[in-house]
Amino acid sequence: MDRLVTVRAFREWQDRLALGLDPNRKTITICGGTGCTAFGAPAVQEAFQREIARRGAAGEVPVKVTGCHGFCEKGPVVVILPSKVFYPSVQVEDVPEIVEKTVLRGEIVERLLYVDPITQRKVAHDHEVPFYARQQRFVFRLNGVLDPTSLEDYVAHGGYVSAAKVLSDLTPSQVVEEITGSGLRGRGGAGFPTGRKWALARAEKGEPKYLVCNADEGDPGAFMDRSLLEGTPHAILEGMIVAAYAIGASQGIIYVRAEYPLAVRNAKIAIGQAQAAGLLGDRILGTGFSFDIIVREGAGAFVCGEETALLASLEGRRGAPRPRPPFPVQSGYLGKPTVINNVETLANVPLIIEKGVGWYRGFGTEGSKGTKIFALAGKVNNTGLVEVPMGATLRQIVHQIGGGVLKGRAFKAAQMGGPSGGCVPAQYLDLPIDYESVKEVGAIMGSGGLIILDETTCMVDIARYFMDFCAKESCGKCPPCRIGTKRMLEILERICAGQGQPEDVDRLEILANQVKKNALCGLGQTAPNPVLSTLRHFREEYLEHITLKHCRASACPALVEAPCLHACPAGVDVPDYLTLAAQERYAEALAVVQMRNPFASVCGRVCDRKCERYCRRTDLDEPLGIRDIKRYVTDAVAAPWRPPEPWSQRQTPHRVAVVGAGPAGLSCAYFLRFFGHQVTVFEELPQPGGMVLVGIPEYRLPAERLQRDIDFILSTGVELKLNSRVKSLEELFAAGYEAVFLGVGAHQGQPLEGIDPRTPGVLDGVRFLRDRRFGKAPERLGRTAVVGGGNVAVDAARVARRLGGQVTIVYRRTRAEMPAYLEEIEEAEQEGIRFEFLVQPVGLAAGSKGAPSALKCVRMKLGLADASGRRRPVPVPGSDFEIPCDTVISAVGQVVSTENAWNLELTKSGTYRIDPVTLATSRERVFAGGDCARGPASVVQGIGDGQRAAAAIDRLLGGSGELPDQLKLSRQRFAVEGEAAAARPRPPLAALAERTASFAEVLGTLGAAEANQEARRCLRCDLEREKAAKK
Amino acid sequence: MVRLTIDGREIQAESGQTILEAALAQGIAIPHLCHEPRLEPAGACRLCQVHLTDASKAPVLACTTRAAEGMVVITESPDLAERRKAILELLLSEHRVACASCDADGDCTLQDLAYRYGAAEWLYGAYEHKEPVALNYTSENRGIEYDVEKCVRCSRCVRFCEEVQMASALTFDGRGITMKVNTAHGRPLHASDCELCGGCIRICPTGAMREKAAKGAGRAKDLARVGTTCTYCGVGCTFDLMVDRRKNRIVRAEARPGSPINDGNLCVKGHFGFEFVGSPERLTDPLVRRGDSFEKASWEQALELVGRRLREIRAKHGPTAAAFMSSCRCTNEENYLVQKLARAAAGTNNVDQCATTCHAPTVAGLAAAFGSGAMTNSTREIRDCRVLFIIGCNATEAHPIVGLEMKKALRRGATLIVCDPRKTWLARHAHIHIQHRPGSDNMLVNAMMSHIVEQGLHDRKFVAERGENFEAFRENLRGYSVEKAAQYCGVDAELIRQAAELYAKGSPSAIFYTLGITEHSCGTDNVKNMANLAMLCGQIGKPSSGVNPLRGQNNVQGGCDMGAMPHRLPGYQDWKDPASREKFEKAWGVRLPEDPGGKITHFIERAGTGELKALYIMGEDPVMSEPNQGKVIAHLRKLDFLVCQEIFLSETAKLAHVVLPGACFAEKDGTFTCSERRVQRVRKAVEPPGEARADWQILCLVSGALGYPMNYAGPAEIFDEIARLTPSYGGMSYARLESGGLQWPCPTPDHPGTRYLHEGKFTRGRGLFHPIVFQPQKEEPDGEFPLILSTGRTLYHYNVGNMTRKVAVSNQKQSANFVEIHEETAARYGIVDGQQVTVRSRRGAVTALAAVGQRVRPDTIWMPFHFAEEPANVVTNDVFDPVTATAEYKCCAARLEPAGGKP
Repeated sequence: MDRLVTVRAFREWQDRLALGLDPNRKTITICGGTGCTAFGAPAVQEAFQREIARRGAAGEVPVKVTGCHGFCEKGPVVVILPSKVFYPSVQVEDVPEIVEKTVLRGEIVERLLYVDPITQRKVAHDHEVPFYARQQRFVFRLNGVLDPTSLEDYVAHGGYVSAAKVLSDLTPSQVVEEITGSGLRGRGGAGFPTGRKWALARAEKGEPKYLVCNADEGDPGAFMDRSLLEGTPHAILEGMIVAAYAIGASQGIIYVRAEYPLAVRNAKIAIGQAQAAGLLGDRILGTGFSFDIIVREGAGAFVCGEETALLASLEGRRGAPRPRPPFPVQSGYLGKPTVINNVETLANVPLIIEKGVGWYRGFGTEGSKGTKIFALAGKVNNTGLVEVPMGATLRQIVHQIGGGVLKGRAFKAAQMGGPSGGCVPAQYLDLPIDYESVKEVGAIMGSGGLIILDETTCMVDIARYFMDFCAKESCGKCPPCRIGTKRMLEILERICAGQGQPEDVDRLEILANQVKKNALCGLGQTAPNPVLSTLRHFREEYLEHITLKHCRASACPALVEAPCLHACPAGVDVPDYLTLAAQERYAEALAVVQMRNPFASVCGRVCDRKCERYCRRTDLDEPLGIRDIKRYVTDAVAAPWRPPEPWSQRQTPHRVAVVGAGPAGLSCAYFLRFFGHQVTVFEELPQPGGMVLVGIPEYRLPAERLQRDIDFILSTGVELKLNSRVKSLEELFAAGYEAVFLGVGAHQGQPLEGIDPRTPGVLDGVRFLRDRRFGKAPERLGRTAVVGGGNVAVDAARVARRLGGQVTIVYRRTRAEMPAYLEEIEEAEQEGIRFEFLVQPVGLAAGSKGAPSALKCVRMKLGLADASGRRRPVPVPGSDFEIPCDTVISAVGQVVSTENAWNLELTKSGTYRIDPVTLATSRERVFAGGDCARGPASVVQGIGDGQRAAAAIDRLLGGSGELPDQLKLSRQRFAVEGEAAAARPRPPLAALAERTASFAEVLGTLGAAEANQEARRCLRCDLEREKAAKK
Repeated sequence: MVRLTIDGREIQAESGQTILEAALAQGIAIPHLCHEPRLEPAGACRLCQVHLTDASKAPVLACTTRAAEGMVVITESPDLAERRKAILELLLSEHRVACASCDADGDCTLQDLAYRYGAAEWLYGAYEHKEPVALNYTSENRGIEYDVEKCVRCSRCVRFCEEVQMASALTFDGRGITMKVNTAHGRPLHASDCELCGGCIRICPTGAMREKAAKGAGRAKDLARVGTTCTYCGVGCTFDLMVDRRKNRIVRAEARPGSPINDGNLCVKGHFGFEFVGSPERLTDPLVRRGDSFEKASWEQALELVGRRLREIRAKHGPTAAAFMSSCRCTNEENYLVQKLARAAAGTNNVDQCATTCHAPTVAGLAAAFGSGAMTNSTREIRDCRVLFIIGCNATEAHPIVGLEMKKALRRGATLIVCDPRKTWLARHAHIHIQHRPGSDNMLVNAMMSHIVEQGLHDRKFVAERGENFEAFRENLRGYSVEKAAQYCGVDAELIRQAAELYAKGSPSAIFYTLGITEHSCGTDNVKNMANLAMLCGQIGKPSSGVNPLRGQNNVQGGCDMGAMPHRLPGYQDWKDPASREKFEKAWGVRLPEDPGGKITHFIERAGTGELKALYIMGEDPVMSEPNQGKVIAHLRKLDFLVCQEIFLSETAKLAHVVLPGACFAEKDGTFTCSERRVQRVRKAVEPPGEARADWQILCLVSGALGYPMNYAGPAEIFDEIARLTPSYGGMSYARLESGGLQWPCPTPDHPGTRYLHEGKFTRGRGLFHPIVFQPQKEEPDGEFPLILSTGRTLYHYNVGNMTRKVAVSNQKQSANFVEIHEETAARYGIVDGQQVTVRSRRGAVTALAAVGQRVRPDTIWMPFHFAEEPANVVTNDVFDPVTATAEYKCCAARLEPAGGKP
């Protein structure tokens, strides 16, 4: 085209092009961004062209390659205009059908539509896809629309109008004022006010001045700059023209890493077009302003994103930073005043000029205006580029735009700001994100990397991973960064490998702070952030790695033989028994379980299945049905069960007392017998089993199943004294016991606030369950309100239901936040139990005889996140109402009975304070575990405690404390044949009518074939590790 | 000046100084590892953090923050100590803390700072290096060793190599913890761009960079430190010889930043070139010829023989039948004694030294124009020049430390104009390189001056007030148009104009020249034209502006100053001037001879004719250094008696009848006068080998044997005599020379010395313009010998190679002679790089390796003269400057033959 020599000529041209846009024109647009290209977009594009040509529609329906849509994981992305039908992940073979139906006939191809991962709903149009619908795309507005290689397309959509306006209507200082007024801050990370930077550069005397567009986007996972430069290169050029005019620069440089070939290509094409059109070069649009741009490719060092290192690289020197001052605006490229702006910053500039400062300031927070693009990645359903106003919350980004955490796992933290950013934990899910707020919680905005971490992510490992990156990318110039990152990495590696030393955490923290304080440039100063932020929010994970050699995410390879095994508090060798079960070697499978867990039957039914939460199979399809298989095994092996071999081998003269015959106490006794010590278990109740007996109704755990496990334990030679209340520890020591294990549980229910627990008709949930077990249930319950959301609440509700009550569960949050097992909630719902969510009882309405007539309640709504990330319920003023009821059962938590504290030190929550490794209490030779030490915990946690305490007691008594070797009876992996996605079998449920009428077991056992098949899905992660170790 | 407070002390700082510089100048030791006064601030080591005003605020870097008026600086606080300790502990965590076996023990900044801040060595576990360290880029070279395990990556060596030496041979390789010093692509150091200056060693704050030869030979605390002056070129670098007294051995040379000329810098020879001192080839006893071989003799025997033979020859043939060659390698005191020996004891003015070979035209030409012949500016002024006009001068190789000053000027933005037939380092980095044909200098310079006058760019005021004979000079220029010169010189006319204009307008401009100007049959004319150019533009008599011949040998200036030449008494006093004669006759107690004497060139001629019967040579090797070697040897063989006073059995000594073993510079006391007229002390570091004695002692003994006893308690006493008799040295004494030396003229004990000459007034009053008529070289190329051969020095060797050929580092770099040939020429002759070629002239032939490239013009070949095995002077032309008898080494006609026959 001819050079445009006046602003007027440009405007006329622009008008013509804008008028030429036909919103009703049929067009096939296909994303040509790097992500979609990698997914095969070019082949799909060709297929469309071929198909269109084959149908003789070549002239009518153009196939347009656009910039990136941002939803890169769904590439190649195709949008059919004018209806905007959205097809993700389009393959070549889909093309004829799309052309046939959608392009030519205006129909929708259902099977190709996007399915919302949350609602499972199909979505037809791109603006309806939640990923897009919840964003506010301003900077990105043209990215998936324009042909990046067409100047005309950009101009038709309003491109260069801002540049023309600035050049013809505004003075440079007016432009600086506009940008200053807009509140735009540098999107590269530091958030320096752009207008102020321009003003400083403008005031500098040196000539010439340079403008550098920093497109050295180094953060792994962040690609918004790349996407912008690839998709709307002219917008960047336009931003640069405005910036250059404002500061008086005559030369612009786009510094872009060479591994962005498409960005380099598109930027160069755009520059060529702009030069030819008179939008760059001498006397732009005939004004007195001359400015040109070149592209310089960097070799891809992370540190070259740091502006002084970038300048060194531009000048042909090693990319290393230098101290500031002087700042680049004073002495930059070749010693001349230089403004360095990030791509996204420059992309905001035309928008501000076009729409006005007032409009722009309408978005964002007090200190951070406009929008920010995040690169959303990690354990979240939708990943890609996300543009939201400053001040959006993580919850909005993760749960609304991102579609929630993958596989329904719990959100743990968001890693923000790239490798030298920090981890923002769940409690800040509702924090409005802007430059200051992110910094306050220990992360940085950075260029907008946002990686979602779930409960299977180890925070120490995350710190290690990012430290590894920083250590490798350190330029090496200053010792704090060069050596400090390496030393931090070594400590982190040591901790992850289970070789951490107790002093490592403090050492790491001191070192991290020194590196932060002393490093030369931004890279070094922020490199400790991953460490500092994880130490700040997840310190206990470090300590667990060091003292317990435990990785709660089951992620650190050196500590984790297999995630299931590691996650199991009792350390059961899950893969081994699954494989044995698959081989129908049930007795051996049972023995493998009993090597670590004497309550095989109990755990086959009521275990909380930590193993399954961390099962790697989840990433493929579904976690293994580990508990169901265990149950199958215990059902398949005939009782009585004999103790495994090692249990009969030793006999020592030492005597140990165990107080409480619950899972913790009996497990402790069982393992003490393994070590050969003589054990006496004292139980206050007439039957053994503790909370398993009195807290878990028979419909979940039939009595004879519990009895089997107890018989098995007693068969190892444990002496059990029932109806025996231990009055003092001295008494035990006086009787010759050398050590004591306390497993007395937490049987004391917590009262409801505002309700006198002594009121007739007001029951405590735990007590209710126990009384019922011993035949002391109240005669008539009537309308029963059960308050609480945990397992005790649901159990109490279901028991009440079976006793004839009309039951309502009252819970102050929503179903999603209920701590009770999901299947129990579902079963309760099936059994006709009502739920009142977001309701908080505040008192009783008195009925006759002092019994209640109704529960006074107030409605709640969800507020900001608490420490766990769950939203805290807050009362809705004036929403008081009543739930008519005859009985109120309180199930809002239990505590350890304080009447018999044995003079032990207690924690703040009233449990016995114990050493996390040995479970020793504050008294010598006294150990404790289970609920009395941890608060209400799971059965398997109690078993694990008993086991560890037994080992510690053995060491105390002169033994090695080493548990029996894992048997490792199987060495086979079936998953090779079973890696195809397979559904997990569901155990049968008893018929509903029978369920509500009796205490018969609700859940059935899997069939033999099902159990066998299910066991074959195990991936045998433990063998992988063995293989790796051999290598 | 700004005033600031550091740690409660109010101090003054020069404006522009950083806090660190200001503090260090006041002895306030802010810790630092990466700062070095010669380097730009890097801000890398982070140790020099200091607080401004408030110790609770984030600190700033002292090395990059400029001192400002009223600033309050706090250099120590608990926070700072903690920071520094943390940084040092990190450094120690990757440092092999092997102080017990480290050469740098006691001389290591890291060690000092770790001690000062109590940094723990093993905080991060036992030191462990995973990479093999034995092999690296320094494994093969013989001079420098890099130990990555001791490297703190302060980048001082890398920055020195880039900023000061500008060799950019060293770089960092890798990132983060894997980063280490390396050459590009890991090439062996001696095969890289490294100039083996050893600057990396001296600037290293730890033991990471070390001299290989000094390994295990002594730590700082084991060694004595003897400050002395370099024995190689005329720049006058000073350094400390680190000496193991017990073993009587020089372990290494150390220069410290701040030394007056070299500012702590040294070249390859200054750093590694003293291996010869302890060479087993050193002469240890007097030798007396028996037939074709030598026999060891006692001093008594040897002296008796020398005295007897010289007396006999004098008796038979008169005093002028004997001649004395002094040595510019020897001290002022010894040069003084040689000429005193010749004049007072032997009764002849037949005394000369190697200035005749090189810079005599400078002395003659500048004396004619200005009244005195020496470098008018000081070396340290070079960095402030804005335009450097460098002609016939390869400073970065022949005068490397002056080269560094030129590089510094270049870095500071000066304009470089280089006129040289070769693409030297300076030529490659010049703004204008005029690659004119050898011998066309006056054509070029006349054309430049003609252009300057034509453009009216000359300094009319200066010419009018301070010049004389301008009109005749101007008239002469009319014959030299730029076009004519461009054609003759073979260069672009525009370049000549640009060069002329840049020089004339420079503020200030200075001229630098060396043997490319003097070693011509028109050498004196060339020098006069240098003076013409400077006077024409008023570029003289100011700081950083003047005419600067870079003298060749360490004491060639002193040799001339001391009157070791036939027509001048010490201090250039005319031997014919009655007052001077009277002064010396009175002092020496003899009648001064009245014969005109002769120069080296004449001695050799007269030896051939039989006119000269005896020649006494102290520390010279004319066989190697004089042109047309075949003739030189033939003539020397005709002498009745040849005495050589030497440290090695040189090519000339091999012809002698008596050889007397001398002490080298490291084995005696005395003074050298360097190119910038600075008189500096030479101090005895080690004992001479065997029976060898200091030359001044030998000269006294010989004088005694001739019947004129000279008794001096030591060099100081000789120097006092010199000072008494030499006005320009009149204010000097050893006591005054202690700290940094003095630049002559220094006529009185309270005179501070003279930094630059001719301020306001020339020595001779007005400056004399000489109209110079261009004279072509004496032997023009022709069909038979179509190429111009030029000879010169390289960086790695020194002159006749007597010393450097015994130095491993130099020999590894260059072990044999070579001839530079342009690739077009090579192609024409079918010569490939690295093959043996024979260079032939009318006088002889020499075979050397072909070095094919683009360093020389297609019509020119070039070779160094350092190699006794392949001596370049077999080929050079024995034609001489009529005034000074200096030979035309820089151009003779030659041809190339692939070795083994004609092409």
